[in-house]
Amino acid sequence: MDAIRTENLAKSYRSGWTGSKGAPALHGLNLEVKVGEVFGFLGPNGAGKTTSIHLILNLMSPSSGRAELFGRPATDAKVHRRVGYLPESVNLHTYYRGRGLLEFYAALGGMPRARRAGRIDELLRLVKLEDAGDKPVAKYSKGMLQRLGFAQALLHDPDLLILDEPTSNLDPVGRKEFRDILVELKRLGKTIFISSHVLSEVESVCDRVAILQKGELKRVGSLQELSAPKSTRLTLQSLPAALIEAVVAASAEVTFQRTQVVIKCPGESSSREVQQILHEGNVAVAKIETETESLEEIFFSTIQPPPLS
Amino acid sequence: MKTVLLIAADHIRALLHHRLLVGVMLISVAITAIFSVSLTKIGSVTVRATEAQRKARNADSNAPITAEERQKQETIIQGMQTGFQAFFYETASFGGSLVALFIFSSAVASEIRLGTIRVTLSKPVSRLQYLAGKFLGGIAVMAAYAIVASLALVIFAQANELTMSPTMKFAPLLMFSRQLMLGSLAMLLSLFVHPFVASILAFFAGNGFYGTSNPLYYVLPSYSSFNVFGQMLKGTLLSGRNVLFLELYAADFVVLMLVLAWWRFRTKELV
Repeated sequence: MDAIRTENLAKSYRSGWTGSKGAPALHGLNLEVKVGEVFGFLGPNGAGKTTSIHLILNLMSPSSGRAELFGRPATDAKVHRRVGYLPESVNLHTYYRGRGLLEFYAALGGMPRARRAGRIDELLRLVKLEDAGDKPVAKYSKGMLQRLGFAQALLHDPDLLILDEPTSNLDPVGRKEFRDILVELKRLGKTIFISSHVLSEVESVCDRVAILQKGELKRVGSLQELSAPKSTRLTLQSLPAALIEAVVAASAEVTFQRTQVVIKCPGESSSREVQQILHEGNVAVAKIETETESLEEIFFSTIQPPPLS
Repeated sequence: MKTVLLIAADHIRALLHHRLLVGVMLISVAITAIFSVSLTKIGSVTVRATEAQRKARNADSNAPITAEERQKQETIIQGMQTGFQAFFYETASFGGSLVALFIFSSAVASEIRLGTIRVTLSKPVSRLQYLAGKFLGGIAVMAAYAIVASLALVIFAQANELTMSPTMKFAPLLMFSRQLMLGSLAMLLSLFVHPFVASILAFFAGNGFYGTSNPLYYVLPSYSSFNVFGQMLKGTLLSGRNVLFLELYAADFVVLMLVLAWWRFRTKELV
């Protein structure tokens, strides 16, 4: 079963007096997020990431298509018992104290009263708000609100976490702490759907990513699937002088080091050609390393328009 | 049901922390008290002036008051007492209407505007439970307001040795019902337009502002029958049967508004 599944999910925002004019925000999104995976949802501003999340959580109605959570329609509120959500801009009731607000959400989430106090203390410690639990939420800084928002999302130990720009208000220390929590949640087998602009953050924890642009899903897959090999490094004990010219002719770069020779091939064809030359020359290759594109490179190559011819 | 009660309790908590609302409530109570005390004083002065006039007319001021004069004086006093009570009720009712409009028109709309609804509805809370909880919270606050206003009226009447008009015993219930009607309409309208506009529309939608000759009279909600002030000034005595019918009308109206609000809210964009 998928934790999240969308089928041709589309959304147009109504405008004009009659609401007939529609600005399309999402075009037929088909997405499957497996139980237990960490899924990165990427895209530039206005790509439709937050709209998708709102549709998945039934905060908006789709123009067409459907969204499911754990095999049930997103409109079924009961399935939200298994979901924790941290919105992009964390707006929480300011008339509570931190602990009181978590108590309210815990009760709404159906957590038994006897378990609440212990769980709230545990989460306040986890998000480093143990000293601010009795402060009014109105006096929290943006970073503190983000932490409290994260605590409320984790409160009922959900199977699926939907995080929309979760570190936008956190300082570098907070981001590191947050990443550590995500790694721990991943170890515990939680499904995490994370929309973020911080590509390094997504790259370090996500199993798969989807890239959205102008409401269209451009690419989806694991980093290995999405990244094209950029270059290959072949490490040898030695390279006979007779082969150097042939290797260089295959667009490779040869570097002689003290105890070894490194050949850097810029592309897949160059790598194949060099390996053929070495094979024919009976030269043993000690190590082959393939350098792949980083998530940032994948992201920019996906969203950038093709160069004008 | 537990979820509905949790949302209702949260709504009450939000309202009690709302400075503007608490301000409107306090101002309403203050205006009621100030005007009532002032009117009572004016009433006493009028009675004393009438007595002085009578004495001036009779050379022998120790002459016993005639039956005709006594009846005339009692009619004046009774009229004034009814007026004081009606005025007290009307002031409290008007203040309550403002409070009701504020509470119900902002109940859902302000949470959508602030974005706080998103986290709440990401929990296992259906939109129906949310709407019902918000309305229930509003009912609780308005009931508390009606109880406080009734107690204040009793204390005011006792302190001024006023005889309670029989119509007054239904006043708190009718005031409460009228405010729920106003509130439910404001809540429905706030799902279409800005809460402030919704409040104004709800307030002026009552057919009390139109004559029975206007065809809109039969379409628009009728708040005027719930106006004890008008009934008392006209000298109408409300029977239990009248009140029962009025209450049934109010219940019908509120349920209809809530059904329409639910119809609108179930597909409303919450961002």
